[in-house]
Amino acid sequence: MTGRRVAVSGLGVICALGHDLTEVWNGLRGGRLGIAPIRSLDVSKLRFQNGAEVREYDPGSHFGPDLASLLDRFAQFALITAREAVKDSGITLSPGLRERTAVLCGSCLGGQISQDAGFVDIYLQNRDRVHPLTIPRTMANAGASHISMELGTTGPALTISTACSSSNHAIGLAFRMVRSGEADLAIAGGSEAPFGFGLLKAWEAMRVIAPDTCRPFSVDRRGMILGEGGAMLVLEPLEAAKARGARIYAEIAGCGMSSDAHHITHPSAEGANRAMRAALADAEIHPEQVGYLNAHGTGTPGNDPTETQAIRELFGAHAERLAISSTKSMHGHALGAAGALEAVATVMALRCGILPPTMNFTKPDPLCDLDVIPNLARPARVECALSNSFAFGGLNAVLAFRAVARG
Amino acid sequence: MPDEIEEKVLTVLASVKRIPRESIRLDSALQELGVDSLDTIVLVSELEDQMKIVISDEAVRSIRSVRDIVEGVRKLAPRLPLNSAAAVE
Repeated sequence: MTGRRVAVSGLGVICALGHDLTEVWNGLRGGRLGIAPIRSLDVSKLRFQNGAEVREYDPGSHFGPDLASLLDRFAQFALITAREAVKDSGITLSPGLRERTAVLCGSCLGGQISQDAGFVDIYLQNRDRVHPLTIPRTMANAGASHISMELGTTGPALTISTACSSSNHAIGLAFRMVRSGEADLAIAGGSEAPFGFGLLKAWEAMRVIAPDTCRPFSVDRRGMILGEGGAMLVLEPLEAAKARGARIYAEIAGCGMSSDAHHITHPSAEGANRAMRAALADAEIHPEQVGYLNAHGTGTPGNDPTETQAIRELFGAHAERLAISSTKSMHGHALGAAGALEAVATVMALRCGILPPTMNFTKPDPLCDLDVIPNLARPARVECALSNSFAFGGLNAVLAFRAVARG
Repeated sequence: MPDEIEEKVLTVLASVKRIPRESIRLDSALQELGVDSLDTIVLVSELEDQMKIVISDEAVRSIRSVRDIVEGVRKLAPRLPLNSAAAVE
C-alpha cells in the first residue's frame, strides 16, 4: 500500500495490571493476574463474582473536581492514557501540528455507568431528575472530545463503536489517516468501564462470563472475564519520528477489516481469516514473517476454536511455528478497549523481545492446538506481529505491526 | 401423555420461537427447529423466570434437543406442583 510509513511513538495505558505503561508491561511480561473478586459493587446477586478492575484508582489524583465530576470513568481512562501517550512520545504539539492531529477512540459502551446511575435515581429512588451532567457524561464520544479539548488538537476527532473491535478499528483508521497524509499525528486507542450492575446483569444473561477465571485455549475454559481500562497510541510518520529523534516502539504496518455477515453473536472463521489476510496484505507482510499473534482469545467455548481454525487456514504450516497468546487472561476482556490494551502488549512484545503469555492455562484443547505461550512469557525477537479483535455482530479488525531496529 | 414439565418446555419454546406447539417433538433437535444459541438463552431465561429455577451456563451449553431441556428442568424442579407456573402469553 502506498503512503507514508507510520510509527508508534508513544503509549499510555491503564488496566487491571497497573496505572501506566511500566506497571502494565511488567504485569504482562510477568504473567500477573488482574482478575480478582469484583470490589467496586455488590455482586452477591450475580452468577459471576470475578472481574479485572482498575484497582486503587483515585480520579482526584488525575482531575480537578470539575473534570472528575464531568467525566464518566470510561472518559477518564481515555484522557489519562492520552496524556501519558503524548508525554511518552515527547512530541511538542505546535499550533500547526494540532490542526493536523486526529483523535480516534474506541468504546463499546460509552458512559453507560453514568446512565445506569441515572436510572437508579429515577426508577428506583423515584427522584424527579437525574444528574444534570448525565448527557455529557454518557455520550460515547466524551473520551475523544475531552482529549481534543485538553490537548488543543483541532483535526478530526471521532469515536468508533464496533463492540469488541472498537479500538482496533479506531487505531486502524488512525493509521490510515497518518499513512495517507490526512493527518500528521494521531492519538488512537480506546477505553471502557463496564462495571455497573445493570451492565453486569446484561452480561450474565448472555451466559458467556466464566464463574472462575479466563482460560483462553484451555480445554476447561468456561468463558470470558470482563475487564476495564484504556490505552492510547501516538502514531506519526516514521520519518518524522526519526527526524525528531523519537523513541519508536514499532511500526504499525497494516490494518485489515471484515464483516462476517453471519450471526450477531456467533463468530465465523471465514470472517476472521479475511480480516487477518487483509491486514497482512495491507502491510505487505508475508505470513511467514509473523512470529507473534495477540489473539482475540476470549476464553469462551465459541471464540477460541474458531480463531484457531482461522489462524490455521491462513498460516498453513507456519501456524506450527507461530506463537500466539491471549493477554485477556491477565487484563480481562475490556470490550471496546480490548484492542488498544492488546496493541500495547503487541507493540511492547516487538520492542522488548518478550512475548506475553496466556495465563491460567491448564490443559490443551484439541480444537485449539496452537502454541499459546502457556503461563510463562517467552523471550523471542520476532519480525512482525498481528493483533486480532473480533466483535459481536461479526465485525473484525486486525492490526499488523513490524519491529524496528532500536536506536 | 406429556407431563407438566414437558408441556411447559414445549409451550415456552413454541412461544419463544413463534412456531406451532404441534411442530415440536420431544426428540426434536434444536437445530432442526431453527433454534440457535440466542434463542436458547432467551428460552432458558424464560423457563428460569417462570419455574423459579436456576440453570447453569454449562447446562445451557450442552443442550442439543428438546429432551435435553426437559430432562435438565426435571432435575431442577422434580416436584413442580401442577399448574404452578404462570401461563405463557
